[in-house]
Amino acid sequence: MIRFVAVHKFFGALAALTDVNAEVKKGEVVVVCGPSGSGKSTLIRTVNRLEEIQSGSVLFEGRDVHGKLGGAALNHLRTRIGFVFQSFNLFPHLSALDNVMLSPMKVNGVKRSEAREAALRLLDRVGLAAKAQNYPGQLSGGQQQRVAIARALAMEPPAMLFDEPTSALDPEMVGEVLSVMRSLARDGMTMMCVTHEMNFARDVADRVWFMDAGRVLETGTPVDFFRSPQHPRAQRFLSDLHTR
Amino acid sequence: MSVLPSMIEIVRDNWLLLLVGQYPNGPLGGIAATLILSVLGIALAFPLSVVMALASLSPWRALRWPVMAMVYVTRGVPLLLIILWVYFVLPLLIGRSVPAFATMLVTLVGYEAAFLSEIVRAGIQALPTGQMDAARALGHSRLGAMRYVILPQALFNMIPSILSQFVSTIKETTLGYIINVPELTFAAGQINNRLLTKPFEVYFILAISYFVVCWTLTQAINMVERRITMRRTRDLAVSALTAIPASASGG
Repeated sequence: MIRFVAVHKFFGALAALTDVNAEVKKGEVVVVCGPSGSGKSTLIRTVNRLEEIQSGSVLFEGRDVHGKLGGAALNHLRTRIGFVFQSFNLFPHLSALDNVMLSPMKVNGVKRSEAREAALRLLDRVGLAAKAQNYPGQLSGGQQQRVAIARALAMEPPAMLFDEPTSALDPEMVGEVLSVMRSLARDGMTMMCVTHEMNFARDVADRVWFMDAGRVLETGTPVDFFRSPQHPRAQRFLSDLHTR
Repeated sequence: MSVLPSMIEIVRDNWLLLLVGQYPNGPLGGIAATLILSVLGIALAFPLSVVMALASLSPWRALRWPVMAMVYVTRGVPLLLIILWVYFVLPLLIGRSVPAFATMLVTLVGYEAAFLSEIVRAGIQALPTGQMDAARALGHSRLGAMRYVILPQALFNMIPSILSQFVSTIKETTLGYIINVPELTFAAGQINNRLLTKPFEVYFILAISYFVVCWTLTQAINMVERRITMRRTRDLAVSALTAIPASASGG
């Protein structure tokens, strides 16, 4: 469903991504892990073209995201890819409900009454039906991130991308966000998650990708990856995690 | 010689002229014309400035350059010169005479729009980039993201700056005097020409009039600014309070 083919990206002279070849299959949950600055976030942001690439291609449902696309085609493609940010990025001038309703109405032309009904259902699904009228500034970090997930789901995307969704949260709020992600995975959503939550990777992921210095060094099932990592860099990463 | 009784006398004899000019026997003038000119100037300049700000942030050079040129010209050329230029050249270009009031209004709108567009641009750029990212990731076009996500926030944050620009505009309308726009300064000039011996008193009255209008507005701006700050800190206070039960129930 999401396929990286020989992807290269540079920030000036710095190689951010080097020859990335990998694929997320339909219905699969992939966790991307690796040390800070290894290019995980950059990689996930190339999928909906929040980051440009210099060569190679990123295919989503067989279409090249970085190919010759008109503005409208790219916008349409983006509606099919849910994206959850580390810093939530809720719209602070809108209530939780309006955050979720805005894009279905303005981008997809859904009627207000239908958008509202769907939004309330999604807020209920992430456990925040009672907070529908609250503004983001009145919600905790964990609640904001759950609203952000509901907002992304409102476009009914076939795939969801998570860019370190719990990294900006206080530890006691991480669980509530992960449990929403777990339930999504259970429902068969195709997911690509950049995260440092190794327990989540172990329990939920179908595949784990390990990245370092802009390369995907290893891909494997969680069992193989955590029990017997092949690449020396992955071995060191995991042993650092365990000794912490 | 006492200044104060003499000033009171001038105001008593001319208050109508200072308020509305020759109206209803002639064109509307005085403070009324000054305020109408300022309000219209800002009201028309504001939407224009938003369009200009969007153009100046556009990825297309053809949109960016004319706006930047206009901004640099208005920054680099005194308003008085622009007024004179429009006053003498605009009739030549369109082939018929233009009333002084309209000339002044057109000039003010262009001039204020250039300054406001820089304020709007700064307001847009001050927002976290994550807001645009989130809107684009949801499939909004650039313009759609501006309209529903960026501008509502940026414009709200800029309310105090826009009001300050309004106060500046009121003071800038005095320059209409040079092309005989019948506003407040012009009315004071008429009174001074009639009395001949009391320039100090007449222009002191003029200064006080502008001061009262502008000072009142500035106080209003400060109040608005306090309200905005209060609203933001209240949001933060509320979020600190709700964070406690939220973390207890979540997880």
